[in-house]
Amino acid sequence: MDTSVDMIPENKLKAQKVNVFYAEKQALYDVTLGIDEKSVTSFIGPSGCGKSTFLRCFNRMNDVIPSCRVQGQILLDDVDLNSPKIDPVLLRARIGMVFQKPNPFPKTVYENVAYGPRIHGLAANRQEMDYIVEDSLKKAGLWKEVSDRLNDQATGLSGGQQQRLCIARAIAIGPDVLLMDEPCSALDPIATSIIEELISDLQSRFTILIVTHSMQQAARVSQKTAYFHLGQLIEYGDTKEIFTRPQNEQTEAYISGKIG
Amino acid sequence: MKDNQHIVTAFDDDLSELNISLQNLGKMAITQFELSIDALATQHQNTLDKIIKDDVNLDDLEAAIHEKAFEIIAVRSPLAQDLRHVLVALKIATILERTGDYARNIANRTKVIATAGNENIPGVNIGRMGQVTRDMLQDVMRAYATRDADKALDVWRRDIEVDHMHTAFYKEVLASMSRDPNVVATGAHLLFIAKNIERIGDYATGIAEQIYFLVHGAVPEDSRPKADRTSRVVGV
Repeated sequence: MDTSVDMIPENKLKAQKVNVFYAEKQALYDVTLGIDEKSVTSFIGPSGCGKSTFLRCFNRMNDVIPSCRVQGQILLDDVDLNSPKIDPVLLRARIGMVFQKPNPFPKTVYENVAYGPRIHGLAANRQEMDYIVEDSLKKAGLWKEVSDRLNDQATGLSGGQQQRLCIARAIAIGPDVLLMDEPCSALDPIATSIIEELISDLQSRFTILIVTHSMQQAARVSQKTAYFHLGQLIEYGDTKEIFTRPQNEQTEAYISGKIG
Repeated sequence: MKDNQHIVTAFDDDLSELNISLQNLGKMAITQFELSIDALATQHQNTLDKIIKDDVNLDDLEAAIHEKAFEIIAVRSPLAQDLRHVLVALKIATILERTGDYARNIANRTKVIATAGNENIPGVNIGRMGQVTRDMLQDVMRAYATRDADKALDVWRRDIEVDHMHTAFYKEVLASMSRDPNVVATGAHLLFIAKNIERIGDYATGIAEQIYFLVHGAVPEDSRPKADRTSRVVGV
């Protein structure tokens, strides 16, 4: 029996002809691509190219911008995320997000992680919550550093620790997908390496989409890379191909530092 | 700003320096090889000494190219064609340095042959074989300068001619050695010299493959035609 079909990763997410407008200004043009399940996909491109706008389509973060309109389909497991039937709050429990600057709540380390599971009713008692907090911090590679500081203020952690706390907070509510918008741009090289190693670990459990300005980071952490320019998806393919022999001249120029 | 320029102009300067150094190494290797073929015919002692003495210049320039490539990788993090440019420069530099070593070896062996003073060894085709190989080296380095993958492939295909000449020369020298035991020592040196030339032809094809990779990001799909049959010659 030919089982080769089973080896092809399913598209966890699909974008079909996605157009995004900020008032009259169009930010994305007919973007269509599929995201493999349990993989890391990088979105790269110069500032203003639409990569962060596209990332925010996947958890409807653009909904909070009044002038923003999104056309086309974003499918999670073949369900259209923009359907009126979808509750954005529940959607964001399945698709977590980590931002450029670590943004822990001004609460304790424990409360930062427990906050999401509590409002989603994921723990029946303190024991279950303790388990979720510990498990999430372990998955985020932070447990050893904070296990004796759970009641300390999260804002007292280092920048890299705060960012991993934000990742723990995002995964505490059991998402399928993690969106990361330049998660290392505010971190030093050591903290960046720790986050990159963490991304590789998390890949076995989550489908990860990451926006990054670091070509080397995209090359290191992702299996697929999409290059955007002026709102267009210029090239999308295997990361090692994009960074060694890109097919499009614009991609080549960008990754080689030939256009701003 | 031109399309092919980097925003960081020092990156262009680095790649340009690498390029110029590699082309200089190419010129030096071709000159050393050309002189070694000429000196094989003339047995001119000063020329032979110069070839042997100048080989160190190729070693030094190869080391400088390696150092520059190392620095570019560390400082500029090249990608795509820039990365191929640096990797290809490293490989071609090594090939050209080895070409210089073979030229020096030809000079060393020619000195021994000149001392033996034997006039009865046939050498009619070795000069021609050297010229064809020299032309291949020149053409392939021109193809590098112009990033011309088609021209590089043309050189790649021409190596079969050197292979044929090598096989013929091998049989010719072997026959002479069979007829006259007095020429065995000289004949053995000539066989090595011919093999050196044949290897330099192979190196030219190696450079051609690097140029193709530089331009297209992949190695040539066809297998290279080969016709060196010396390993199968059992007697004459």
